[in-house]
Amino acid sequence: MSTEDTSSSVHLPQPSDITEREKDDAMGAYLMMFASLAIGLPIPLLNLIASVIYFLVNRKTSPFVAFHALQALLSHIPVVLLNAGVAAWIITNVATHAPSWAWFFWYLFFTILINVTYIVWSIVALINANKGRFFYMPVFGRISFARYYGPKAARVPRAPRVWENKPPEGF
Amino acid sequence: MKLSITHQEKYSRGQLILRTLFGSLYIAIPHLVLLAIVGIWSAIISFLTFWVVLFTGRFPESFFNFQIGFQNWSLRVAASLGNLVDGYPAFFPGVKGDAVKLEVPRPERVSRGLVILRLLFGWLYVGIPHYICLIFREIASGVLGFLAWFAILFAGRYPARWHAFNVGTYRWLTRIGLYLGYFTDEYPRFSGKE
Repeated sequence: MSTEDTSSSVHLPQPSDITEREKDDAMGAYLMMFASLAIGLPIPLLNLIASVIYFLVNRKTSPFVAFHALQALLSHIPVVLLNAGVAAWIITNVATHAPSWAWFFWYLFFTILINVTYIVWSIVALINANKGRFFYMPVFGRISFARYYGPKAARVPRAPRVWENKPPEGF
Repeated sequence: MKLSITHQEKYSRGQLILRTLFGSLYIAIPHLVLLAIVGIWSAIISFLTFWVVLFTGRFPESFFNFQIGFQNWSLRVAASLGNLVDGYPAFFPGVKGDAVKLEVPRPERVSRGLVILRLLFGWLYVGIPHYICLIFREIASGVLGFLAWFAILFAGRYPARWHAFNVGTYRWLTRIGLYLGYFTDEYPRFSGKE
């Protein structure tokens, strides 16, 4: 299927179709970055938990909310990994007493740059989500969109398991 | 969840001055002392609720009603001290006021997974993001509350939009409390709107 075919067959909700509640929930996904900023440096991997939980809790709310929650989560991963790299580099160098700082500052500079980009993008996405708009980050936007509005999105939901009382075996 | 605090057409200047000068004496101290005592029971109930919900997936009705009543009472006192309503706030959880109303439907089932999740990581995925937003909101609410004091004093009116904004701040805070207290599985929205 070509890109044009896909885009023409996808029915996207417009800002006026999206409820205020959905807009707030979608915006909330990007606010998880505050958890990252608040405790990101001491415990780099822990802050990802906030985004993961938010996604898991809100993914069934609506496709619009799920899209933003997944995009926020995916965009969080590289930042978390880079920050974890900084922490690991420092710990390794200090622990081994064999400083190898040559590339460290370049890496640190790169990480700061990515962090700033992530924050700016998240703020832009947050504002758009709150207005009921789609905002696509590079790569992550496409993946998230495909997950919730692509061909695989229209899956038949599983029927809930119903418990059936039975007598003991052989009775 | 519905929280409404009635916006009055006219506010009493006399009551405003009384509350400002002696509010701590005749509203805050009696209420807060009793709230602290009943709060001990509320804390015990919260502890028990955690285990009951964890094992049964249900919030016992009597516990639920007591806790909502307790929240109602706290909100009545806060609304009165914040000049959002006139009149003396009623004591005790069972009383239902007309000016301040908190209505929370009791959920049929409470997700046990979410109970654990909230206990372990509630501070992370609810507390930090929400309270960082609320810091700014509360500053704005404080400023509006301060300005509203003068509006009541000189005009006898609490501007409706300011009132709605300040009620929204209470609503937002209440939603967070309800979610973290297992009253609802619905993640609190980042807004003070209804």
